[in-house]
Amino acid sequence: MRGKKLSEPDLKFMHELANTPRGGGILSCIQCGRCSSSCPIARITNEHNPRRLMEMAILGFRSDILLHKLPWYCLSCFTCLDRCPQGGDVGEVMFAIRNLATMEGNVPEGVLTQARSLMDTGCVVNPVRTIVMERELRGLAKIAPPTEDVQKILRKTAFNKKIRHE
Amino acid sequence: MKYAFFLGCLIPARELSYEISIRKVLPALGVELVDMKEANCCAPFSIQSLDYASWLALAARNLCIAEEMGLDILTLCNDCYESLLMVNTVLKQNPEVKDQVNEVLSEVGKEFRGKTEVKHLVDVLHDDLGVRKVKDAVKEPFTKLKVGTQPGCHLAKPKRLHLGVEWGFGALDELVEATGAETIEYDNKEMCCGGPLRGIDDELARPLVRQKLIGLKNAGVDCVVTLCPFCFLQFDLGQLEVKRHFKEEYNLPVLHFAELLRMAMGIKLEDWEIKSHRIPLDSILKGRL
Amino acid sequence: MLLEKTAILVIGGGIAGIQASLDLANRGFNVYLVEKSPSIGGRMAQLDKTFPTMDCSICILAPKMIDCSHHPNVHLLTYSEVKKVKGSVGKFLVTVLKKPRYVDEAKCTGCGICTQHCPVEVPNEFDEGHGMRKAIYIPFPQAVPRIMTVDEDNCLKCGLCEKMCEAEAVDLDQQPEEVELNVGAIIVAIGFDLFDPSGILTYGYGRYKNVITALELERLLSASGPTGGHLIRPSDGKIPRKIAFVQCIGSRDKRFGNTYCSSICCKYSVKDAVLIKEHTPDAEVCIFYIDLRAFGRGFQEFINRAKTEYGIRFIRSSPGEITEDPMTKNPELWYEDTVAATIQNLAFDLVVLCPALVPRTDAKDLAKVLGIEVDNYGFFKASDDMINPVDTTVPGIFACGYCLGPKTGDIPDSIMQGSATAARVSEVMMER
Repeated sequence: MRGKKLSEPDLKFMHELANTPRGGGILSCIQCGRCSSSCPIARITNEHNPRRLMEMAILGFRSDILLHKLPWYCLSCFTCLDRCPQGGDVGEVMFAIRNLATMEGNVPEGVLTQARSLMDTGCVVNPVRTIVMERELRGLAKIAPPTEDVQKILRKTAFNKKIRHE
Repeated sequence: MKYAFFLGCLIPARELSYEISIRKVLPALGVELVDMKEANCCAPFSIQSLDYASWLALAARNLCIAEEMGLDILTLCNDCYESLLMVNTVLKQNPEVKDQVNEVLSEVGKEFRGKTEVKHLVDVLHDDLGVRKVKDAVKEPFTKLKVGTQPGCHLAKPKRLHLGVEWGFGALDELVEATGAETIEYDNKEMCCGGPLRGIDDELARPLVRQKLIGLKNAGVDCVVTLCPFCFLQFDLGQLEVKRHFKEEYNLPVLHFAELLRMAMGIKLEDWEIKSHRIPLDSILKGRL
Repeated sequence: MLLEKTAILVIGGGIAGIQASLDLANRGFNVYLVEKSPSIGGRMAQLDKTFPTMDCSICILAPKMIDCSHHPNVHLLTYSEVKKVKGSVGKFLVTVLKKPRYVDEAKCTGCGICTQHCPVEVPNEFDEGHGMRKAIYIPFPQAVPRIMTVDEDNCLKCGLCEKMCEAEAVDLDQQPEEVELNVGAIIVAIGFDLFDPSGILTYGYGRYKNVITALELERLLSASGPTGGHLIRPSDGKIPRKIAFVQCIGSRDKRFGNTYCSSICCKYSVKDAVLIKEHTPDAEVCIFYIDLRAFGRGFQEFINRAKTEYGIRFIRSSPGEITEDPMTKNPELWYEDTVAATIQNLAFDLVVLCPALVPRTDAKDLAKVLGIEVDNYGFFKASDDMINPVDTTVPGIFACGYCLGPKTGDIPDSIMQGSATAARVSEVMMER
């Protein structure tokens, strides 16, 4: 992100994030860098840096965070969260950022695939035909996810609208 | 000891040997498993990243089923465990959120009451049953097997979710040692294997598991033992991907902990189960270390 | 009217307690100075040099310690503990337990022959475990009183010391003695302990030999310490040429309940960094900090000098973890330079942790004995932080020094507070 031109800051973003579920920790961040020093992804690519992401959120660079790949590098391994001295809850704030990114239509294809599978079948991962047969062969029960119930829930929470899969 | 058995999506869809091993091992240890009829997806990392309300409702529906059964939930997958445990905790501690979720659940005729607990396989084996009992059930202990364990991130992180339990990453090691195998420390043992990004961003997930494989190889382990089915995929199938992309071979067989325990209890793995492992198990089975 | 030779009790023989005792003694009060360990001196005796003058710490402290031992109005009760307190301001009745040293205080000359012959060696607490001492010992060369003490937990009762002592001062049958004191007021000055960094698993303290605390560093730098003042690292005795200081170990950390800033660590780490550069000019010294709390006169200037004159690197980062190279035993730090936004792994020869300063483990018990309140961290509570900062919640009992909490800055502040309590005591005693 060095040298890239950033968008106009949205000074209300930090509080928008703080009021998003799982996002409250943003108000406690003191930018000490312990999270970024611990993050396994940050050691592989300098595109991802949890401290810098929190900094951008605090400073209000809403579109830079929500419209780019940035929030989707996180593994949710929670190493950062356990080491933060101030209750910044970085790993949790990441989920809040991703929820907001979803509302902006910014979701990686791999995640959408899992989401569509959930909506269509009730499960994120379904057995392929050979596995279905193997299960029957080995005397294991048939997998029968409660597709209808899941779809009812997801319709009520407007999940399909949020991921733009009508 | 009776639990509502929550299998999740991945294990029954891709890791049948894990499921079968559990169904053989736990009853033999005196743990009764009652299948949760109509359990739905726990809403793992990917779904949680999309929408908060959907996550809560999906996970809560499973909690309701267990409540209706009057039992605590037993999960195998770390991701399922984390999801169900977090939602159970959030709903129990926040009545307003609980009410909102129940409004959604009313669409499917369910109501969350907060009457069940969420347990991981490790909870049950290490705390409820006890390492001693596990050890007593071991009839054919390993004698020379060196194991690198992968407890998995969501087993014990975030720590604050698991206050009040003494076990942590160390618990898996104790259970592995109860089978007679030796646990070996290796670099980056506590680091994530990359599982959550599998299929989403393999360019990032792959180097992580590679890092762990390097540490494991350097430490001289005979095999890797996992708890979480995602970790298993990363280490097992992932080794072939690492071979393809980095041109490095590690030849480290990967076992589910349930399989390790099963073998130690004298219940052999069947041929088809052995073959379902992408990295051959010959080296451990031949000498039957 | 001042009562003739009214007695005052001071609990804790560190610099704050010493100052309070001398001030009161000079004013004509009788002072009983009770100290739990065999010698007065406290933390200041453990330090090498003090900020900002870079004076030798014990050189400033020792004359005051000697004053205490020689002053006709100061009565030292070392190796003793306050067990019971009854009464109220003006007329406290205090029961002090004198633990048996197994050495007759009147006869011992402190010559040290016994120590030479003692067969038992145990880690020396004064050196934070780095040096050894015998079972019959003096904790440090400038100890006051200069009387040997037998550590009964490790003594073999072999009797060699008794045989060798020309003054016939060893008395292995000595019994604990209870002393009753009538005092008009009490001053508590028991100081602090260090937060134990082994509670933070990711930093490897206790597992990696070359990760030490700042107090251990002071002992290694100190001329009277276990290495004679030569900074060598614990694993192999080599001179470290790359040293890292890590700030806020346990301080400002909600996970451990010490959410406060310990207020002196930024100061002493820069002091220690400069000291190391003076010992080993070609050493690379890095200080990893979250904020540099540089309040007070001379400190910002000191930091600037540290950067420009001594070439000490200040890196704004709280490291994520410390690992160890199994071959070299070099500790390796993972950190993000938050200014440059680069994440890297850097190997050092030695890592010095700057832990939080926490209440002593016995502070709570003493608070119960005295009936005074403690705050949510366990430090003694002032009756009013703003207006009565050295009065405790019990009239007639006062407190000074770090046992009052991190609002204390450094040594001059402790001395000031010591004098403040002496003034308060005089005032209160004059009212009677």
